[in-house]
Amino acid sequence: MTKDELSAQEIALYDRQIRLWGMATQLRLRSSKILIINLGAVGTEIVKNLVLGGLNTIEILDDSVVKPEDFAGQFFLPNDDSVVGQTKLPLVVDRIRELNNRVNLSINTESLDSLIANKQYVKAFDLVIATELDKQMILKLNDITRELNIPLYVSGMHGMFGYILTDLIEHTSVSVKEAGNQPRVVGTELSRNKTITNVESKEKSNDEIVTIRDVFSPLKEIFKSQELPKQLNKRQLKRLSGVVPLIFALFDITRPNDPDTVIDVEVLRVKAIEICNLLNIPAETVTPDYLDVFSRQAFAEFAPVAAVIGGALAQDIIQFLSKKESPINNVLILDAVNSEMPIYSL
Amino acid sequence: MAKDSYLKKILGAENFSRIQSSKVLMVGAGGIGCELLKDLVLTGYGEIHIVDLDTITLSNLNRQFLFRQNDINKSKSLTVSKAVQHFNYLNAHLVSHHGNIMDTNKFPITWWEQFEYVFNALDNLEARRYVNKMCLFLKKPLMESGTTGFKGQIQPIYPYYSECFDCSTKETAKTYPVCTIRSSPTQPVHCITWAKEFLFHSLFDEVESDQNLTDPNQIRSETDNEAEIAFFQKESTELAELRHLITTADPPTFINELLVKIFKADIERLLLIDSIETRRGSRKPTPLDVVRYSSQLAGLLADVSNENILNLDTKMWSVLENIYVLYKSSEVLQERIVSGRESSISFDKDDEDTLNFVAAASNLRSSIFGIEIKSKFDIKEIAGNIIPAIATTNAIISGFACLAGTKYFTTPSHGTDYSAITHKSSTIFVGITPNKYITSGTLGPPNEKCPSDALVSRGVFKISPTDFTTLTLGWLIGQLENYGYSRDDISIQKSNSKLLYDIDYDDNVDLTLASMSGLKDGELILISDDSDQLESLELYINIAEKTSLPELVLRPKVTHDEPEQENEDGLLENGMDVENDGVILLDSEAENEENDDLLIIDDEPSPKRRKIA
Repeated sequence: MTKDELSAQEIALYDRQIRLWGMATQLRLRSSKILIINLGAVGTEIVKNLVLGGLNTIEILDDSVVKPEDFAGQFFLPNDDSVVGQTKLPLVVDRIRELNNRVNLSINTESLDSLIANKQYVKAFDLVIATELDKQMILKLNDITRELNIPLYVSGMHGMFGYILTDLIEHTSVSVKEAGNQPRVVGTELSRNKTITNVESKEKSNDEIVTIRDVFSPLKEIFKSQELPKQLNKRQLKRLSGVVPLIFALFDITRPNDPDTVIDVEVLRVKAIEICNLLNIPAETVTPDYLDVFSRQAFAEFAPVAAVIGGALAQDIIQFLSKKESPINNVLILDAVNSEMPIYSL
Repeated sequence: MAKDSYLKKILGAENFSRIQSSKVLMVGAGGIGCELLKDLVLTGYGEIHIVDLDTITLSNLNRQFLFRQNDINKSKSLTVSKAVQHFNYLNAHLVSHHGNIMDTNKFPITWWEQFEYVFNALDNLEARRYVNKMCLFLKKPLMESGTTGFKGQIQPIYPYYSECFDCSTKETAKTYPVCTIRSSPTQPVHCITWAKEFLFHSLFDEVESDQNLTDPNQIRSETDNEAEIAFFQKESTELAELRHLITTADPPTFINELLVKIFKADIERLLLIDSIETRRGSRKPTPLDVVRYSSQLAGLLADVSNENILNLDTKMWSVLENIYVLYKSSEVLQERIVSGRESSISFDKDDEDTLNFVAAASNLRSSIFGIEIKSKFDIKEIAGNIIPAIATTNAIISGFACLAGTKYFTTPSHGTDYSAITHKSSTIFVGITPNKYITSGTLGPPNEKCPSDALVSRGVFKISPTDFTTLTLGWLIGQLENYGYSRDDISIQKSNSKLLYDIDYDDNVDLTLASMSGLKDGELILISDDSDQLESLELYINIAEKTSLPELVLRPKVTHDEPEQENEDGLLENGMDVENDGVILLDSEAENEENDDLLIIDDEPSPKRRKIA
């Protein structure tokens, strides 16, 4: 098996996905090394999808011990109540490896705090995914990934809600797309920081070769961005729900140790309104209904929601690595109550 | 137990216990099925029945995460329920059925009645239609889902309250004119279709099976060029003679005749009738110079190590290599028939011999017509109707299917009055754009032209074994008058269209139901009102303890000037086996990515959008 060729066995195993994204993407996946921080329900879904996809190396970093509520969505855990209190990763690694033994899978049970003091550790990876982190840790990590020029995905969930934040620094994708009624124009901003930089018509076909360039903001900009109201028309702004400020508010609130604990509504409200002011969105979006839901569902894991968020994130990583599709830039919100999944560029 | 504390917080303790005491059916345990089952088990569903007729193959393992290498060839339905035991933390009761969901002996209507909710995770239209129909009969809520590549969609179906599966037409495999395939190809797909459906079929498959490409009526409808029609006729006759050689000649003779006739003589004859109208945009063909390649072919055949060429799936074979592959595959196919192991061979993309033959033959034809050559890998996709499928889209769609199904259990139940839940539910289409990942839409009412739920009512006709052998068709006609039908205006048909009764055909009236040929448990009968007063009624015959007809109020018949059944027929006559994790069901407007608000039906901020469950 050479570096730039897939073996017959690999082609047979990955047949149905190679038919979608081609041999070149599969080779890119096979040469990519990824770090994933924390294996909660969302992390579990991401790891499952990426191991199946056929990456080169995946390291999982998580120093936690198994809690009873982890059984809600972390399906690599053994079906055995007695593992509660034991370190999580050694209990799941074999089940993950079984999915696809072509992937180099490793686990690390040191604490994130101590590890990222050493930049060399992060430097070994082509891409970092961080789940279930608070804002302070996200920003600290992002400083390092920025410095090392490594793309960073951040994700997590709160019951029926979830989010993906991306700082992929910059990205250029080239893809063949069907030419529509109106030709694509160089310079078109598909969304903020997502621009068509080249269009060539493909010979003997109704296709165009489209180059899209994405530029990303550092994550600290997202948390104080004034861009959201500019990206909504009046009706959308009027209909904007409290999901964005409440998800943002929870980045500053510590995850309770007891899963039955409800977040104090008043604390949440004050925080969320502060966010509304910061992001220049109406404070009325933070309704009592939404406050009540978020106070109960904050940090709660729910398998089908984790599947949607983890699926979308793993998919985007594959798009990113393929260099064929333009990735999420830069905030995706899942509201599974209202079946909405907007992407904002903040 | 804190294991379920998140579920209780999210769903509410009462709703969660309703889910835990529910019994649901999941049809299909493949790409969507593996993901969906995981979600259902972790959401706390109490009892889940899984039906699938399929076994596991290598190309499933990139996405069907409950399967391992050593599960290959095992039953999908049996394997999934074992595999989920590793994370069956909430002790769901799993019941696997290895079988075809359309098998009425194994899955009679009484078996369906036990389920509160049905999740489809299917890969073909026929089974989808069948499950849809069963759910209409029993008024069971159904979650329909499908994926293709990066796209996918879910459609909750609440019978007679929202659109059913048949309310919108579905995209089907494209068909080409016979003349394009047989005399004027311009694209690789034309040559692949020719190689698979004409050449391979005529040589190796069952002769009597349906053959559109040789249908004289079809040909006459496309061309009035007598020379071309005569050419087609002669080509077919000679092909039958060639087929005869499989069992009467040795391999070198058979294969040489094949090469010369198909790629040289037929092409030379085609050139003789050459005219603009037979060309139809295709290039002037160049007959294959078979003799020129014969010594090189002999050289390749002499060295066994050249068989490696057959495994170079992604390489573009040269003309010589294509001739070699055609030779080697013809040899094996001939041997399979001569040995008596098989009397005929059908094309199967996973049968390497048949795939090699089709790949080589189509490439040779392509080179003759100046069309680009394709790799075996690419030809397999076209010939096998393979739809790309990936883990992530299936995970996303299954997550949404589970969530939308769970919404049913967190909404107060009103029996089969589904108006509240229909109003709260949405279709979801996954198609990534810069501004949103999904498009959701409210559920539309049944399409008034839909033959499945708008033009006909349905019910189960239960009949005891004693009544079945003593009561007559005349008795049934009397019963039907209770619905408002008049015996002078109705006709009664069996599902295969065989007429049982109308005013001019009363021969069966005194026969008992059991003595009428083909009337049996699981059979459907259709009652139509020829006076156009009342809608039609479809009854499912179910041999049961007690005799009863369904309680229904029939609606006035709605007539439309243009019958819409044509699409239906077009779909069914195309028996192509499309292997995928689904079909995209939504009409094209969902794919319009420019307008953010296009599909959002409720214009004003409605209570639905603000309300949180």
